[in-house]
Amino acid sequence: MRLTALAISAGVALAAMTAPAAAAWRGYISHPLGFAFAAPGELKVTKGTYSGAVAGGPHDSATYQFVDDNIEYKVVVIDMRDRANDAATLLGEAEYGFQDKKKVLMDTFGRVDRQFGRKLTIDLPNNGGRTTAAFYFVNGRILSLQATVLPANGDYGTPELGRFVDSVTFYTVRAADDAIELPAPPK
Amino acid sequence: MQRRMLAALTGTALMMAAMPAMPAETAWKSYISKDLGFSFMAPGQIKTEVGTFRGADAGPRQTIVFRATENNIEYKVTVMTLIQAQAEGASILGEREYMFQDKKKTVSDTFSRVETGKDTVYGRKIVVDLPENKGRATGAFYFNKGKLITLEATVAPTGNKASPDIARFVDSIGFTRAVMGAVELQTPKFE
Repeated sequence: MRLTALAISAGVALAAMTAPAAAAWRGYISHPLGFAFAAPGELKVTKGTYSGAVAGGPHDSATYQFVDDNIEYKVVVIDMRDRANDAATLLGEAEYGFQDKKKVLMDTFGRVDRQFGRKLTIDLPNNGGRTTAAFYFVNGRILSLQATVLPANGDYGTPELGRFVDSVTFYTVRAADDAIELPAPPK
Repeated sequence: MQRRMLAALTGTALMMAAMPAMPAETAWKSYISKDLGFSFMAPGQIKTEVGTFRGADAGPRQTIVFRATENNIEYKVTVMTLIQAQAEGASILGEREYMFQDKKKTVSDTFSRVETGKDTVYGRKIVVDLPENKGRATGAFYFNKGKLITLEATVAPTGNKASPDIARFVDSIGFTRAVMGAVELQTPKFE
């Protein structure tokens, strides 16, 4: 009896040791951009561009990216300040482009701190994984949070996607006290 | 032979007399508002009125309403001018869409696109069942050039929820295309 209990305990301990360690979630904030969110893993910042039929472009974008347990977390900020008066259609175009020619599993309202946007979940083509994203247009910028479960993870029902996209806030008072200020993208 | 033909003709005439009376179709007309920057199609007589709207984001607003009723379907176009809040247009549009479906059974909620290329205007089309079996409403929502434009077709409980006229109305909106022979709508003055 005692031997069995010992064997089970050892098995549990071994299993725990071999499971990938989940990275701690941390708060991030951008005072100049006016939003905060939480994500796990190490932050990587890249600079890019965005173009669209309506948006024109290229428009500068910054991507704040994290990877943990084969889930990619991404916050994309697109500078549309020169076209801010077309906010509604620009946001619609970005949302439409996100789901175009993909299998849509969810398309619903996103409401955060008096900002209305949308939340979508899609399956990526060629079994490339599943992405949940939230889109908002705030202060002249398209802001999207995108979390992708890669096939290597395979847990497409993980609550981490919702945790990430729902962590966004546009009120600085709601940011974590120890939130890290987001750096500007490299020049 | 002559007898058989007579019998067939009498039968057809009797069948037609026994058919329920179909409502008379009113002609559809194109309407354009050059002031407000859009066009649409609707049946029946268009009435223009001034209304009100209140949203948490949009605040209290006066609205311009173009309304027609035909075959138990109410066709309504509502316009709000928000020139000073164009940069918040995405959220204001989202709020309006949210209010349309709030506490109702959503039948569908999809992207909507009007015009093409750089002139494309993105919005949404939502179908809801009204509470207490009060019918079904289809709404199309756009925010373009500082104006929040809503097209709503509401089918009364006794009306035909599957009528193709609903889509004909909400899909008729245009922002840049030329409309031949359209009736020009007068914009009422706010108080």
